[in-house]
Amino acid sequence: MLKFTIRRLLITFPQLVILSVLVFIMGSMMPGDALSGLIDPSIPAEAIQARREQLGLDNPWYIQYRDWIFAMFQGDFGTSIFHQRPVMDVIGDRLMNTVWLSLFSTVLIYLLGLPLGLVSGRYNDSLLDNAITGYTYLGFATPQFIFGLIILWIFGYNLGWFPTGGSVAPGLEPGSIDYILSKINHLVLPSFAIALIGLVGTVQYLRSGIIETKQKDFIILARAKGVKESAVYNKHVFRNSILPIAAFFGYEIVALLGGSIFIEMIYSYPGMGRLFLDSISTRDFSVANVLILFYGFLAIVGALVSDIILSIVDPRIRIK
Amino acid sequence: MGKYSWSKLMFLTMLIMVLALAACGGGSEEETSEEEGSGDTGSEESTEEGSEEETEEGSDDSASAEDIYNYEDFNKTVSNDGEVTGEGTLKVGLTSDTPFEGTLNFNLYQGNPDFEVISLFDEPLLTMDEDFQFTNDGAMTFEVNEDDNTVTFTLNEDVTWHDGEPATIEDYVYAYEVIGHPEYPGIRGATDGFTLLEGYNEYKAGEADEISGIEVIDEQTAVFTYTELAPSLTAGGFWYYLMPEHHYEGVEIADMAEAPQTRENPLGIGPYKVDSVTPGEAVVMSKFEDYWRGEPNLDGIELSVVSPSSVANAMETGEIDLAINFPTDQFPDVSEMEGVEWLANIEGSYTYIGFKLGEWNEDEGRVDYKPEEMKMGDPELRRAMWHAMDNDAVGERFYNGLRWKATTLITPYHANWHDDSVEVPEYDPDQANQILDEAGYEDTDGDGFRETPEGEPLEINFASMSGGDIAEPLANYYIQSWKDIGLNVQLTNGRLIEFNTFYDMLENDDPEVDVYQGAWGVGSDVDPYGLYGPDVDFNYPRYESEESTQLMEEGNSPEAFDVERRQEIYNEWQALMVEEMPVVPTLYRSFVVPVNERVVNYSIDLGFNEETAPYNWGVTETE
Repeated sequence: MLKFTIRRLLITFPQLVILSVLVFIMGSMMPGDALSGLIDPSIPAEAIQARREQLGLDNPWYIQYRDWIFAMFQGDFGTSIFHQRPVMDVIGDRLMNTVWLSLFSTVLIYLLGLPLGLVSGRYNDSLLDNAITGYTYLGFATPQFIFGLIILWIFGYNLGWFPTGGSVAPGLEPGSIDYILSKINHLVLPSFAIALIGLVGTVQYLRSGIIETKQKDFIILARAKGVKESAVYNKHVFRNSILPIAAFFGYEIVALLGGSIFIEMIYSYPGMGRLFLDSISTRDFSVANVLILFYGFLAIVGALVSDIILSIVDPRIRIK
Repeated sequence: MGKYSWSKLMFLTMLIMVLALAACGGGSEEETSEEEGSGDTGSEESTEEGSEEETEEGSDDSASAEDIYNYEDFNKTVSNDGEVTGEGTLKVGLTSDTPFEGTLNFNLYQGNPDFEVISLFDEPLLTMDEDFQFTNDGAMTFEVNEDDNTVTFTLNEDVTWHDGEPATIEDYVYAYEVIGHPEYPGIRGATDGFTLLEGYNEYKAGEADEISGIEVIDEQTAVFTYTELAPSLTAGGFWYYLMPEHHYEGVEIADMAEAPQTRENPLGIGPYKVDSVTPGEAVVMSKFEDYWRGEPNLDGIELSVVSPSSVANAMETGEIDLAINFPTDQFPDVSEMEGVEWLANIEGSYTYIGFKLGEWNEDEGRVDYKPEEMKMGDPELRRAMWHAMDNDAVGERFYNGLRWKATTLITPYHANWHDDSVEVPEYDPDQANQILDEAGYEDTDGDGFRETPEGEPLEINFASMSGGDIAEPLANYYIQSWKDIGLNVQLTNGRLIEFNTFYDMLENDDPEVDVYQGAWGVGSDVDPYGLYGPDVDFNYPRYESEESTQLMEEGNSPEAFDVERRQEIYNEWQALMVEEMPVVPTLYRSFVVPVNERVVNYSIDLGFNEETAPYNWGVTETE
């Protein structure tokens, strides 16, 4: 397993290099740069041009790429032109918010999705199952941003139970108990908005997995041997039905860490999704490049995690 | 069995609904575009009254039937004149769908959201009147001496930094030294207030250690020597912010924007001081008792970023007291909100249609105006296109009157300089047709479109930017209007163009662009040279004429210190631009700000007024 992990990680390195070159070339093909948004009659074009030269934005892409790679090996990931601060600081601020949000949403997705899927698969075609499947259809059909707005309107504005925006109440001392509680309080609505829509896939996979598994011969055998019904489901059926979910677990985490643009916009939540989109639309490539590399790295790690989990839950799969 | 058929039925129902929805969407789109088309051509009256009637006719299915507003009917200052409690917290919402960048210093920031934040805890040293002329009501006063081209700046001795240090004129000089420094990480320092300062250019080039034109007399006074006194200097030209030298001790100029002195504990001289910054989200400020004008009326100000999708709700529930950058297009839907007063004022910007009339000559660094080679070179053609646009209707239908027909290239925002007597081509498709007929643009091959007088097919490419819900229907509307007078106008690339690409195409004189729709924000100084001078990049039409250049130069020469003379010059220039029309201004704009009724002394009026200065803001009810 260790060997496998190391080998997989070694393969990622050339993949990341290719990714970064592609990103750089495509970035240089895009019209405009980080300064072209500063079109303002009170700023003469020469001043912008001078700044461009100062930042090296005029150089061909391979020179910029070389400078960027060299700097990165010295631990310098560049400076965001738009935010006027080191890229790592910009990302760092947002990353922690996104990590918390995705952690909360993932926990909620599995906490709610697994029991729902279990129930609906076990009692399939019952009224309860119909209600749950009905909900999953609704969930599939509802765009996340509509749902986010609706629960914001109900629980944030009408009932006033939860804060309506931001990641923390302003003016609190970072690290204090109040600060942490306020952070959690701010996470409730956005993470529910993500989870209640995001869990429909999990429920459906689990449901169809269970329905399929429970008709298999070894389940009939288990029942014939007199195993208790709850044990049949919890031990035999569940474990065999969870494979597709386990296989997706790694990807799911990666997708959540990418940030949710809609949820971040609706809840004014400073996360990675907006940062990525903004850095592209403002041509702030120093940020965009690092983010793409980061996502690429995450995707590879996510696939790896999925493989490892799969090998744990399914002994038939052996990693060589 | 029954259950299966039930779920099948449900699936079928959903499918049908999806199809029905898709069909509806397509149908209504067609309907509206047809209606717009008929609205433009159908009426023979084609006057302003005519267009109003059409609006009423087409009222059943579009938003255009809603009320029409005029910013002049709104208050600019809150009407609440109750007793100020002297305490309470004002909650300011900054409407934005992205976090603010957090470069919290007037000398270093780049984005507008940061500017809005800084304005709450720092303040400009020089005040301006409604005509954007500096006045002497601020923390600093100035005296112009025309004999030797010097200006004496005197800083009020009561001005104190939030950390208790007294502010001195050295902090003002320091702002110039930072902005002019070769390593300064920004794009400021290229305007007249800097470049006309003696020795500034040498300092900027790194040839001198200090700016020779600055002489510090004492802690409060300094004399600046200029190479020339231009009228722009007293209209926003002098730099008007301090830079706290002591606060940035030991910080390299190149690193200032990212330093904690800027991001975590920014310093100012305003009535409220920063207590804490939640990066990108919120800033908490408290009363600064030693504020030089007097004690502020509030315990503090709390600023937070509010998403445009929920800002109206936040106003309604009282979560915020006022919303900066409120999305104007939401206003008609929420105008009846209880407990909220709406303020409105004119915005310093205009939308325009530009015509490509030449190319940029890189070697000479100026435009190469060659109308005879360009498709849009014929002024009669441009005049006909102007006549074909019904911008009154555009303003009413698309913007509920919050944008309205523009006339000249100097907006009423510069009320002192805007000439409303200039006659511009009115909406009149018949006259447009007539002009084209007379100029020899006739449909010779029977395809329904006019050819050039030489008999060549005339295909006009129109570039327009994407963004917002209105961009697409508006672009289609203009294209339709031009087709109605027989011009074959196509959207460049067949679709709307993203912002960066759009300006890239304009800058590089892409041959795919003949006509384009753009917008300009205007600064405090009225001087249009930065947009229409022959040697500036932003002159995207690539237009040049001796007369225009001469007028613009006269407008910013010492001669123009005489206001009446300057008005004359700019009136002449505005009339000239209507005559030559390298660009056609289409819409002027206004903005709205919702304010909770408990707020007093808040104003969005132009020009400084002691009564509505931030330290006098207050509330009549604390929660």
